[in-house]
Parts: sequence; structure tokens; C-alpha cells
Amino acid sequence: MLSVSIRKDLGKTLGPAGVFSLDVEFEAQPGVTVLFGASGSGKTTTLQSIAGLLKPDSGRIAIGGDALFDSERGIDLPIRKRRVGYVFQNLALFPHLTVRANVEFGINGPDRRERARRADEIMEALYIRHTAGRLPRDISGGEAQRVALARALCCGPRLLLLDEPLSAIDEATKLGIIDDLKTLNRQLRLPIIYVTHSRDEAVALGAEVIIYERGRVIARGEPLEVFGSPVTMSVARLTGVENIFEGSVITKSERAGTMTVRLEDSSGVCSLEVPLSSRTPGEMVKIAVRPGDILMATEEPRHTSARNVLRGNVLTIEQRSDRTVVRVASGVCWSVSVTRQAVDELELSAGKEVWLAIKSHSCHLLEV
Amino acid sequence: MCYLQHAMNEIDWFPLALSLRVALIATLIVVVAGVALGWLFARKRFRGRELLDSVITLPLVLPPTVLGYYLLVLLGRSSPAGRAIESLTGQPIVFTWQGAVVAASVGALPLMVKTARAAIASVDRSLEDAARTLGRSEWQVFRRVTLPLASRGIVAASILAFARALGDFGATLMVAGNIPGRTQTAAIAIYDATQAGRDDYALMLVLILSLVALSLVYVTNILVRSGD
Repeated sequence: MLSVSIRKDLGKTLGPAGVFSLDVEFEAQPGVTVLFGASGSGKTTTLQSIAGLLKPDSGRIAIGGDALFDSERGIDLPIRKRRVGYVFQNLALFPHLTVRANVEFGINGPDRRERARRADEIMEALYIRHTAGRLPRDISGGEAQRVALARALCCGPRLLLLDEPLSAIDEATKLGIIDDLKTLNRQLRLPIIYVTHSRDEAVALGAEVIIYERGRVIARGEPLEVFGSPVTMSVARLTGVENIFEGSVITKSERAGTMTVRLEDSSGVCSLEVPLSSRTPGEMVKIAVRPGDILMATEEPRHTSARNVLRGNVLTIEQRSDRTVVRVASGVCWSVSVTRQAVDELELSAGKEVWLAIKSHSCHLLEV
Repeated sequence: MCYLQHAMNEIDWFPLALSLRVALIATLIVVVAGVALGWLFARKRFRGRELLDSVITLPLVLPPTVLGYYLLVLLGRSSPAGRAIESLTGQPIVFTWQGAVVAASVGALPLMVKTARAAIASVDRSLEDAARTLGRSEWQVFRRVTLPLASRGIVAASILAFARALGDFGATLMVAGNIPGRTQTAAIAIYDATQAGRDDYALMLVLILSLVALSLVYVTNILVRSGD
């Protein structure tokens, strides 16, 4: 198990644009832990501190009972003695060495045959045996990722750090590597810290997600839990919730388990049934609804369980890389994500009248 | 044919042979010192860094005679360094061919340091960090990652340092003097021959030195270009 509790003032190193301090505390069990957050939130700084490339101002980093860094006891293990595998963002494969020499680089011991055997084993497990004789510039992006992983694992690390390693390759290749890494780790049982700012990667990978914002841990838990029901404004923004509104509680219905909230934004007002909370009528609340949790129809839906059925008009249709987002004015302005096919079938276009159905349990109350 | 052989035998080859020996030894010294200093400047922050950099660069801008003067004072028989060398080797270093090696080394060092520094600075630091996380010591990181990746620039710098050492005149004359058959290098022999009206001999040395310098620079250019 890895335990981290570190503080570092980064004001000087990042310049005026990113003046902030890192102050985080977390533990990571064997298996994958995802560090998720916007770029500049301190994820890479955390990894560098764990690996020893950067020295925190104070705190403690330990694997099991072994301290790698402990400011109180004056411990600061040199990088080479930490036995922490690190896969860099740019992979940092040695360009002058073959794949085999790269993989063998971290293996100690004078016996060449033994080194070769261990390298073969790990290359086999990551399906890169056939590239052994090639130079890094002669292999594909996916293979390079696997080589970097093999190299980091080959020196027998106690912990594996991955810094957005898959950001440059396509989805299918990425999922393949993630699967193979998980399979491999069933025997190794290493804590793996995986840094990413992609939500899909976090969900695909993690047993545990730690959410970073401006140098602090603001939430942690199972990916679906953390991403599915954001509890604070910044988690909601970070995890891609686009519908966040301010409003005030109008009435509460203990029996139905809901309360009516009047939402307001610059374009207008609208009322919504949301799950009951301890807020009293008149109090201000913030509500978040994920664009994917809203159902869209071109005729008024009847006989539905959704507590909220809103009539509105399409404002714009935006084609994004992975989905289509339709902006709808219905009192306030909603973002609804739909598939390209749905846009065609519903014959959506700007100005068209549509209905939005939202379950009250898809409306998340954010802690203010 | 017989005449040519006779002419060849008559020619004094000593200055060229001495220049070659002095330049080779000076290059060896300069490569080791230059790579170490280049690494220091490219990778470490320390107090007095700018000052050290300036001092090492001085030979590039000072008149060679000034440089020679300093070396003479520093290594002369009455200086502490000079006395130490004399008691170690049994002979003074000034006005010997070893003195010429020192003069040529100091003259060629700035070029070597600057080029080695640039070559080392161009090596991606994350590669060095990767080697450290793989359990390698600082020396191993240098030998197995930094040095091989900077080698092209360092080899180019060594060739230039050799060319520079081969042609040293002012500082060598000050420190080693102009003793025919002992410290008279090719560059000094050219001056000597011109003064004495032996123009044929001077021209021959000029042509040989020019040809060597041209080939060295040519090879260096090819070496540096092919790295792009």
C-alpha cells in the first residue's frame, strides 16, 4: 500500500498563471488508482514527488512501512533506490537502444542470460516480443506504450506510476493495453497510480478515483459514484456536467420525497422536481443535471415516470468529437446529449419544438 | 625520383611531428575536461557558475600573448604550481613541449566546453530521469544515456579542439618558446621560416596545415549535419 501526505509550494516554479500549492493526502491499495483532474491541478507533481524527481516541502511518502520521503525524520531516498516504476508522459524510451536494451535497462545483475530471460518474459506478457530488435523510432505508438510499461515493470518495482501514458493513441489500442496491464497486475499486485484527465479512461480503469483540483483532493471513490453523482460544484464541472443552475426551494413534499425548486439563469426561469433535502423553502440551492441523463422527445411524452417534463425549443446543435449536444431553451438553457442518429430521426433543427424528460433522481443537489 | 627523395630527406619534419603530438595530447585533456565542464554547465546550478563560465571563455577573446603571459606567470619556475611540477617531474614545464601542450589545451578548452555543453543540454532530461527511476546511479545515467546521445556533438567538438590545438601560436610561443628541435611547433616554424627567408619551407607547412584544417572542418560539418 502506498500512502502519500505531502505539501509543496509551487508558486515559484509555475509562474504567475499557476500560482498554487500542492497539499494532498491519500492512500492507494494494490490495483489501479486514478488521479483525475484538469491539467495544472498537481497530478504530475504528485507523481514526481513519489518517484523522487521532485522534493516536497514537507510530508511523508511511504510504501507499506518503508518511508521514501519523510521530512520529519529527514528521509529522502534517492530516485534509484525507491524502486518506483514510472511511465513518463512522453514515454522517454532511450532512442539509441533497441527495445530489448530498453526493457533490460533496469535489470540489475551480471548474468546476461538471466536478464534476457526476464526481459523475454515481460515482453511476452505485453505482446511486444517481436519488436525486441527494433529501435523505438521503428515501432508504433501502441507498441511504444507497451515497451515503456515493460521497461518500468522489468526492474521489479514496488509501485507503478503512469503519467497520462495513453493520451496519444487511439481508443481500441488504449483499451487493449489497459486490459493487458490489468491482467498482468493480477499476479504482480502492485499499486498502480494512473494520471489522466480523460473521464472515459478513469471509468475504464479505476477501482478508485481521486479527484484533484488546484492542488487539493476534492473527492474520491468509485468512478461511477464520483462521476455519477457529483457533490460539489467543482467536481461537477470537472467531471463534465454541463447543466448547473442556481435556484431556490419553493415547496417540499415529504410524502413524495421531492421538493420543487425554481431555477434561474440568464435566459429565464423554470421549475424542477428534485430529491428532498434538508434545505428549507426560500433557501438557495445549486442543481446539476448530466446532459446524458435528459430524455428528448418531439411529442409530449405521457405516462412517464419522469417527474419533470419540460417543453422547449432547440437553440443549437453542436457536433462534438464523441457525441452531439443539443442546446434547448425551456425557461433556462439546457444541454442535452444525443446520438447523431437521434438528431436525424427526430429531424432536429434550430427552432423545433421538443420535450425534455428528467427524472428527479437525475437532478443532483450540489453542496454550496 | 631520386631528387624528390633527396628533397624529402632534407626537409625538417620535426615541427609537424611535434604539432601533431602536442595537439593529440591536448585534445585528450580537453575532451575529458571539456565534457565534464560541459555537463556541469548544462545540468547543474551552483554558485560561481557564471564566473567560471566567463573565465573558461576568456581564452576565446583574450590576445593569445596575454593568455601566454598568464600561463607563464602561473607555471613559471618561481610560481607555486611551477615549483610543484618541477619537484614532481624533475624538470620545469615552461619552455618544454609539455608547456606547449598546456598552452594548446587552454586555448582549445572554451570551444570544447561550449560545444559539449550544447550537445549535453540537447539531451532530453526525462530520459535521464527515466534511467534514474530504473535504478541507475548518476555515473551510469551519464555513461549509458547522456554521453551516447550527446556523442555526435562531442566528437565534432573534439575534432574542432584538435584543429584549434594544432594551430596554436601566441600562447605556445610565450610558454614553450621557439627552440628548434625541442619546442618549435609547425605554426611557430612558419613564422621562423618566413623571417629567415625560407619561403619554400614556410609555404609547404602552410599548405599542409591548411589541408589538415580544411579536412577536419569538413568532416565536422558532415558529422553535425547528418544529425539533423
